[in-house]
Amino acid sequence: MTPEGARLKWRRRGNHAAIFLGLMALWQTGSWTGFLDPLFFPAPLDILASFWRIYVTQGNIWYHLYVSLGLVLAGFTMGSILGVGLGAVVGMNATVRRFLQPYVIVLEATPRIAVAPLLIAALGFGPQSKIAIIMLVCFFAPFINTLSGVLNVNRDRMELMRSLGASKMQVLRKLVLPDAIPVIMAGERLAMTSALSGVLVAEFIQRDQGIGALILTYTRNLNMASAFACILTLTAIGFLIFKGMEMVDHHVAYWKNEAGLKRMTEKRARAFAARRGGLAHA
Amino acid sequence: MRDTGFGAIYWTVRIAPHLVIFAALLTLWEVAVAQGWITSIMIPRPSKIGAAIANLYVIKGTIWEHFFITLGEAVFGFLIGAVVAILLALFSSLSERFERYVSPYAVVLNVTPGIALTPLIIAWFGYGMGSKIALAAVICFFPIFVNTLTGLRQMDPDREELFRSLGASNRQVFFKARVPAALPLMFAGMKIGLTTALIGAVVAEFAQATAGVGVLMARASFALDMAGSLAALLSMTLMGLLLFYGMELLDDRVVFWRREARMSAVSRARAKAWKARRGQRDEKNNMGGETK
Repeated sequence: MTPEGARLKWRRRGNHAAIFLGLMALWQTGSWTGFLDPLFFPAPLDILASFWRIYVTQGNIWYHLYVSLGLVLAGFTMGSILGVGLGAVVGMNATVRRFLQPYVIVLEATPRIAVAPLLIAALGFGPQSKIAIIMLVCFFAPFINTLSGVLNVNRDRMELMRSLGASKMQVLRKLVLPDAIPVIMAGERLAMTSALSGVLVAEFIQRDQGIGALILTYTRNLNMASAFACILTLTAIGFLIFKGMEMVDHHVAYWKNEAGLKRMTEKRARAFAARRGGLAHA
Repeated sequence: MRDTGFGAIYWTVRIAPHLVIFAALLTLWEVAVAQGWITSIMIPRPSKIGAAIANLYVIKGTIWEHFFITLGEAVFGFLIGAVVAILLALFSSLSERFERYVSPYAVVLNVTPGIALTPLIIAWFGYGMGSKIALAAVICFFPIFVNTLTGLRQMDPDREELFRSLGASNRQVFFKARVPAALPLMFAGMKIGLTTALIGAVVAEFAQATAGVGVLMARASFALDMAGSLAALLSMTLMGLLLFYGMELLDDRVVFWRREARMSAVSRARAKAWKARRGQRDEKNNMGGETK
């Protein structure tokens, strides 16, 4: 980047920071003068103080975060594996697809999170019903996306591979899956986001522990500053998940970006050279 | 489409196997519960669910009030969220500076699970419909915003050049080229947004409410009345389908050029209108000739 470009970038960052700080200052003075109702807009300094309290002095958020994120991870893993697996099976088989389609449409129109109270009633209070909710919420996006990814495979290429004598497994591994991976990853991203919503809803209904229950308790006590601090924590987690999924995506679908393609080509060239070297030795 | 009698046979052949399978599944389910292979507390018999649906919709008719309350909440929330999202996307696409300073906040809003705001929104807007509408609006905002903005940005440069070289004004380029190019994506966003709005309304009802399908469902499942709870859930499915197909219909009307059949229908109608207009003009011209 040219020095000019760098300077412009820093100036813009400065502007962003200035606007942000200006807004916060306005907000803070608004709260001090009683202009803003602390019930709606807890003062920024109060929110900072709450952060300090829930993370350091009281440190009570750690346990709840640990519980919620554990559930998210368990539910997401199971739900998305199930979704991708079933999606691939259904996508490959035309008859299964035709007979499942109406059910898929109906299930897709149902607000998935709405099944939460039902699952809690069926499976009882405890982590199992929460995990079931997250699984259900995580299942759909990967399922639908895998299905459409498998269905949208390039027919000409498939025919070419078949006519060159590729087996079904080879077509799946070398053509269908690589083609579908960007779409599948998009589904996984959606699933990860909805997993976070899923755990929150489960905890709102089943108010024993977890970050959702914590937010609910704080708002019930009208301790809005602490509730905001919890929500901002979730924002940070959401951001980390977003970035993390992006990184995984770059890594898995490496041919979609320049750097990944270069890295993989070099790696393969090295492996190829090594193999050829080995042959020459022999 | 003209019915040649062929269509009916075709549909029977297509649909009959589906119906048979569906009936077989229901029978199997019924028998499995009746025989005690599945505990009826977890999964009630289909006949019980049917009875619960009949009770909700016809005998007692309790669902209607709740149904329309929830539907109204979702639709109102969606309208508010969509209007704000589309306006912000329009401004962002028109002014780079506006976008630069607004987009960080939009990103922050996006990565925050909107559902997390439920207790706060209920504390702010109360137990009534207001809080449900607010939550629906908040969580349906983002998909619409992003899709509209992406749509408005992805203008084919060749097309813009063609417009410019034919002397189109800025406004014409915007309304005749940029907006139509954005419409398909915008509608895709609104379809997602509408479903999300319904989720928002229902979740807010779970958290705290006095009326709505969500309340009905939560009450039934806490009374371990699984049949009633499933009947309420199916009502939500119905609502989701209604909203989705409504949006699809609108999409089909507005973005008519994407589907072959609609495209030719609209072209025919326009050609007819044009011809009629030309006919009128010709008549006038002819009359003019006669008076001379």
